Amino acid sequence: MNAHRTPSLERQRRRAAWLFLLPMLVVLAGVAGWPLVRTVFFSFTDATLGTLDGFRGVGLDNYLWLMRDPVWWRAVWNTLLFTVVSVAVETALGLGIALILNAHLPGRGLLRAAVLIPWAIPTVVSAQMWGWMFHDLYGVVNAILLGIGLIAEPRAWTADPDLALPVVIAVDVWKSTPFMALLILAALQMLPRDLYEAARVDGVHPVKVFFRVTLPLIRPALMVAVLFRTLDALRVFDLMYVLTGNSRSTMSMSVYARQYLIDFQDVGYGSAAATVLVLVLAAATVLAVTLGRVRVDAGG
Amino acid sequence: MAGVTLRGVRKSFGRIEVIHGVDLEVADGEFVAFVGPSGCGKSTLLRLIAGLEEPSAGDLFIGGVRVNDRPPAARGIAMVFQSYALYPHMTAYQNMAFGLTLSRTDKRTIEERVRAAARLLRIEELLDRKPRDLSGGQRQRVAIGRAIVREPQVFLFDEPLSNLDAGLRVQMRLEIARLKADLRATMIYVTHDQVEAMTLADRIVVLNAGRVEQAGTPLELYHHPRNRFVAGFIGSPAMNALDVVSEGRADGAVRVWLPGGVPLEVPVDGAAPPAGTRLTLGVRPEHVGVTDGGAGLVATVTAVERLGGETHCHVALEDGQRLLVRRDGDRPVTAGERLRLNLRGETAHLFGPDGQRL
Ligand SMILES: Nc1ncnc2c1ncn2[C@@H]1O[C@H](COP(=O)(O)OP(=O)(O)OP(=O)(O)O)[C@@H](O)[C@H]1O
Ligand SMILES: [Mg+2]
Repeated sequence: MNAHRTPSLERQRRRAAWLFLLPMLVVLAGVAGWPLVRTVFFSFTDATLGTLDGFRGVGLDNYLWLMRDPVWWRAVWNTLLFTVVSVAVETALGLGIALILNAHLPGRGLLRAAVLIPWAIPTVVSAQMWGWMFHDLYGVVNAILLGIGLIAEPRAWTADPDLALPVVIAVDVWKSTPFMALLILAALQMLPRDLYEAARVDGVHPVKVFFRVTLPLIRPALMVAVLFRTLDALRVFDLMYVLTGNSRSTMSMSVYARQYLIDFQDVGYGSAAATVLVLVLAAATVLAVTLGRVRVDAGG
Repeated sequence: MAGVTLRGVRKSFGRIEVIHGVDLEVADGEFVAFVGPSGCGKSTLLRLIAGLEEPSAGDLFIGGVRVNDRPPAARGIAMVFQSYALYPHMTAYQNMAFGLTLSRTDKRTIEERVRAAARLLRIEELLDRKPRDLSGGQRQRVAIGRAIVREPQVFLFDEPLSNLDAGLRVQMRLEIARLKADLRATMIYVTHDQVEAMTLADRIVVLNAGRVEQAGTPLELYHHPRNRFVAGFIGSPAMNALDVVSEGRADGAVRVWLPGGVPLEVPVDGAAPPAGTRLTLGVRPEHVGVTDGGAGLVATVTAVERLGGETHCHVALEDGQRLLVRRDGDRPVTAGERLRLNLRGETAHLFGPDGQRL
């Protein structure tokens, strides 16, 4: 009797669990799964925005073209450069800010709230805001730099090919550092206080404590934060698009894909670019998770 | 080695003073235990000595040198934390060596010291393990080892055994007693377990609400508590307190009336209170005798707790006052039974209305 009852109870629970999961699975399949499958499918065709019903399969042609397009490779380079530089700077700055916020300063709560503001503003809004500030004629950045004599004549910040990517990176750093800082702060606040007291009794220099105790202990959280930001940065779109449009000097992989999909109406080719982007993201995730785990095991 | 001296040490957090002027002398090589109820300031006092807190007033000397302005590392102390405070990402060896690797001690000396400490604590085969792979008692040993390798003049322990289960606690207590004999260093040991304090300490300091109530050897505190607080705190089960009325002085002793009109003469040192003063009589449960008949206090047993080796009888006197009587383990006694109790003046204590011993 008892032997039968337990499995049936378990079956009931399972059914309930699936029932609860069902709406989410349906929505995910609808908004993420289906578009992804369609994109991958279109990437093997010559479909255009106007002929979504009549198209031919073209095999790997789209991918071969993509590999031969220097503009695509420029977009890949821009994306990687943007990702590496912005994530590195955000991590360093975020760590610094988190350490300051973690110290027992008066007015710390207010400071913490203030730091979050850039993160809370939608990217399109902050990009537009920075776009105005970097405007070559009316921008406040030029006005200030001219005023204190750092530059002799106004610069076209977002149009100059040498300046545009650094400007985009700077805006991303401004926007995303708070996210880093908060994740790292959360990790710092988990560290037991008496570890630091033990180090004080042992007479360990604070800088050494930071590198030998704090950093190893927050590394798992730091890795997660870096992974999140990296994936975010690899698919960056809105910053570039709002600040510099389709300019090649800043074009990211996402901007490239969108340009072919929408502006050139070449759904097949654009889908191939988008699919490669997804593959890059997947590879980055797998790499980060495996490498990350290996290193965590070796060190901690 | 060095002694520790506190002169008028006070400590406030914000506007709240939690240590109200402590004077204390810990001799070189002495083992002193701080005991007191939770929140009385034991940890704070220890942290003041360690230099983890700064005193608001008063002076602190270690080895005759004023150390108020010295950082913890320059005070010649080592501290063992209640939570062990081991670095989770380092092995036991690295944990013990960490403080030394950074103070430019050469590698051979470090290795020798760590191995010697590990041998002393019997954790030699655990040196390559991380804290998460150690049991509570083993972690505690590593934490103590980390203190030992610093070769401090003064060891500070903050409730080092309170996270261990009862059996392990007894074992570690013996280990600490052994360490005390081996190291011959000055040790200050915070605990709220009075058995630990009684068994380990040369001297016990009883703290209450940021003040020293009494400092003395374990037996001094047991036999001559200075006030009701110390009397109630030292000894287990706690001392009984009975309301009695003074009848004035009788030749180096005070004569009091117990409930039910039984007189008792208790020897006292101080001046006798005037007749009619309400006093408190303190008698330890192990000092309450039971007579088979004749004179004595009449009491009714309300509850019996059998602990095997001994029996605790809760009794009520005629006027309703309650008392705990400690008797042999297998003495036949049942609730509702009437007993005649026999108190002796020499083992009783008298406390005035202010709680001070007469
Ligand atoms: N950093 C602090 N800020 C404010 N108040 C504090 C601080 N540290 C301790 N106190 C207060 O000081 C008093 C004494 O605390 P302490 O930790 O010394 O008690 P304790 O005797 O060690 O108690 P326990 O047996 O529970 O460990 C408590 O009332 C506590 O609330
Ligand atoms: Mg404490």
